[in-house]
This record gives sequence, C-alpha cells and structure tokens, in this order.
Amino acid sequence: MSEKTILQAQDLSKNFGGVKAVDGVSFSLRRNEVLGVIGPNGSGKTTLANLITGFVKPSRGKVIFDGKNITGMAPYKVADLGIARSFQMVKPFYQLPAFKNLNVALLSPRLRRLSGGRFGDRDAMAKDLLEEVGFERDSWVITHQAASLPHGYLKRLELAKCMALQPEIIVLDELFSGLSLAEVASMVPVIEKLVAQGKTLVMIEHRLKELFRIADRVIVLNFGQKIAEGVPAEVMEDPQVRGAYLGSEAEE
Amino acid sequence: MLQGTLIYGFINSVVLMLVALGFSVTFGISGVANFAYGALYVMAGYLSWLGLHSLGLPYWLAAPGAVAITAGVAAMIYWFILLRVRGLVVSEVIATFGMGLAILELFRYLGFIGFEYTLPPLIDASVMIGDTYVDAQRLCIVGAGILLAAFLWFFTHYTKTGLAFRGIAQDERTALTLGINADKVAAWSVAFGAGYAALAALVILPLGTIAVNEGYNVLVNALAVCIVGGLGSTVGIIVASFLIGFAQILTATYLETSWMMLVSLVAILAILVIKPSGLFGHQKQLEERI
Repeated sequence: MSEKTILQAQDLSKNFGGVKAVDGVSFSLRRNEVLGVIGPNGSGKTTLANLITGFVKPSRGKVIFDGKNITGMAPYKVADLGIARSFQMVKPFYQLPAFKNLNVALLSPRLRRLSGGRFGDRDAMAKDLLEEVGFERDSWVITHQAASLPHGYLKRLELAKCMALQPEIIVLDELFSGLSLAEVASMVPVIEKLVAQGKTLVMIEHRLKELFRIADRVIVLNFGQKIAEGVPAEVMEDPQVRGAYLGSEAEE
Repeated sequence: MLQGTLIYGFINSVVLMLVALGFSVTFGISGVANFAYGALYVMAGYLSWLGLHSLGLPYWLAAPGAVAITAGVAAMIYWFILLRVRGLVVSEVIATFGMGLAILELFRYLGFIGFEYTLPPLIDASVMIGDTYVDAQRLCIVGAGILLAAFLWFFTHYTKTGLAFRGIAQDERTALTLGINADKVAAWSVAFGAGYAALAALVILPLGTIAVNEGYNVLVNALAVCIVGGLGSTVGIIVASFLIGFAQILTATYLETSWMMLVSLVAILAILVIKPSGLFGHQKQLEERI
C-alpha cells in the first residue's frame, strides 16, 4: 500500500442469497482523488458503497482505510473514522429544520474530537455549511422543516451533512440523480471546491458527462464485477464497457 | 357533580398521559414497542416499597433508587435481549412481553400480594376546589405530569442527547452515517422510557396498592393512549390522554366504574378501524414521501 493510498478494497464480494451483488472487486483510492463508479442499474454500485461504509458486511474480501482493516465495522464507527456517505434516496431528518439536520452531525463524537471539545456556535457553523452548498444564508429555507424542501435542496443538504463530519473520504451515491441540468451545474463547483480542500471522493453516478468533468479515474461495474478501470476517456473506449453500459444506454 | 367530573376527568387524563409518555418516548426514538412497560412500572413500585420497608431507607433514597434500578433493568433488557432481535418487530414484541410476564409473575410467585403494599403519598392532605374534595396526591400527579411532559419537550429540543434522540427517531440510517451509535441511543431510550414509567408509578401508586395486575392495566392504558394518539407523537399522547381520560370518568360517573377499562379497549378498536396510524401518527405520510 503506497503512502498516498487512503482506501483499499481487496476482493470485495457480497452474495444476497444466490445473487452475487458484488463479486471480487478490488481497487485502491489515492488521497485527494475523485474516483467515479459507474455501471448499469443493478451492477452493484450501491452495494459497493454499503460494503465500504459498513452498512453491509462482505461475504468475502477486505476494506482497508488508512492502513486499518475496517471490514465489517459498524457504520457509525466507519463514519467516526472519517468516511462520510450520502444516500441515493435522500435521507434527511425530515422533521428537523434544514440547519438542525447539520447540528446532529456537528454534535457527533468525531467533531467533538476534532474540535477538542470546543464546539463554538453550532447554528452558525451549520449555516456556513449550508451556504457552501448553495443555500442563501438568510433565507427562510434553512429554518423550515426538511420535509417541506424540494428534492434539489435535499440533495444539497445531503452533501452538506457529509461535509459537516469533516471526513477524509466522502462516498456520494448518485448525488446528481433527479436534479435538473442547472442544479447539477451549480453543484459541480461545490464538489470541485471539496477536492481543492483535499477531500477524497468516491462518486457513484449515472450522469456521466458531469462525472467525467470531475473524476480522475473511473471503475466500471457490471453484474457485480469490475470490468474496467482507468481515466474516463480511456474507459469509454473499452469495448466491454461500451457493450455492457453504453450499449444498453444507447438502446434506450 | 359536573364540576367533580371535570376535575377528576382532568386528573385521570394526566394519569393516562404520565403512564403513556415513557412507552411513547421509547417507541418514538428507537421503534421498540416495550411490552415489559407495565411490569417495569410495577417493579418500580415494589422496589421503592422494598427500599422503604425492608431496607428501612428514607423516601428520598428509596424512590430515586427505585427509578434508577428500573431504568438500569430496562437498559439491560435492551442490551442482552433486544439487541439480538433488533429489527425483527415480532420478536421484539414477544421478547419484551415475555420479560414483562416473567417480572410480573415473579412478584406474584414471591407473594407480593396484599393491602400492605402501598407507597406513601408525597403530601398527605386534601383541598377543596370549588365544592369538590381533591387529595393533595392527585394534585401532585398533575404537577408531575406537567413537569415530565415539559421536561421531555425541553430535553428533546434543547439538549445534545435529545437532538441525537430525534435524529435516530427520524432516520436511523442517516444517524449512523453521522457517527451516532444507534444501539447505544436505543438502549438509552428504553432506559429513559422505563425511568418515566417508574416516576409515574411513584406518584400514581400511592392512590391505591401496588399489585401485579396493575402492570397489565398500565400496559393496556399506555397502549390505548399511544395507539389513539399515534405512536411516537407527543401531541397525540396529550390529546388521546384527555379523550380517553374524560371518556373513562364519564363512564364511571354515569354508567359503571367497572367499565372504565372497557373504554381503553374500545378506543383501541375504534381507532384501528377508523385511522390505524392514530390521530397524530405521521409514520404513514413519511413513508409516502420516500
């Protein structure tokens, strides 16, 4: 494991009954890299995210984070170590105001450690974060229950929640899904800023055009197996990828 | 007579609210329906009686001790039993109900039956409200009910742990991604609910004797209030307590005292037919959103 490697998946596999959702996937992630994970529906992308973040225990294989074996570790411990994640289906605390959603993250044991026990003004910190992802600081929006916010705002909230944890790695499960072109366009700079701040990202995406603008490297899954890996332009030339993924998209 | 009915209806409603708060808080936070709830309520009564009479402790030691032990037992029930069946709702219900039966029937087996099992009232006096006699203990109950409901509101809205509780209550998966240990919070929530049951027992039980059967009655009443109000909804609990509380007193005044329990059962049946999620239940709507 080279010094720059922050996360390593070794022969990661998960069977659900007879279905091999993820089948012997290995990859490594370098610090400050943006890794795209693409593949057709049902190819195992979300299961891969669940395996890394502890939501699903692998049938076989290992996950090494920062030199530490975190295979099968409880999700809250994985988060505490510094791997944040978002969900494809947004999962805010619906009955809390938007900024209070972030307060829950700002109260976490990880933040307590990082801040040396001095939390400061959490409401202000929460509002700072929301501003970073594109909310207007003084608007009524952030004081309203999350349940009343439109989908695009909830996606931003999801990203802000990941950022609140001050993680090393952020695993984003289809952050762009269900967003309009304009909304995606406004999210891209936020992601680029995170990268500039030194964060490492794993982005599961269907929106290839936007992903390729951000991602340094891409891995392609099909039927749970990794069928290609490389820089975006290379991967798209791979005949297997074209057949499995782009082929099916072209037919639609 | 009307004045008396109103006063006793109000007191009875607060009693129901007190009894239901703990059950609701546990369910609201961790989704655990604690069917050992009634048993824990009665246990708090017996423990405090044992502290007072067997150990000869002063009230200020025996009562808080009973609350602490009851909460501790509840936390252990979560940690050693519920944790293994977490997420399997039917198993959770069977496990807690089984524990409840074991606790209650153990007290019966050990011979805790009789009129000597009583707790002292906080204040032994009575007052006149208008032309109705009300004993001071009943006023203590009203005070305790308001205090405990207010504390719950304050705790969940203005404290760190309370915010974590609400987070878990609203989405356990997301709470996990923020580094919150859901099992620890759930264990706390079960202990917290049991602590509320114990406090309710300490103020309500002085009105009568501590009896094993009281455990079953308390469970039925708590369930009735929570089902009618909507599980996990504090506003629902308060509204449902007053609906059922007044209905019970009206039944006792104008029909038969022995029919009071029927009111709870009929209320459960009626709401399950008309609006299964309860008057203020919001689980359904949330599911639809997602």
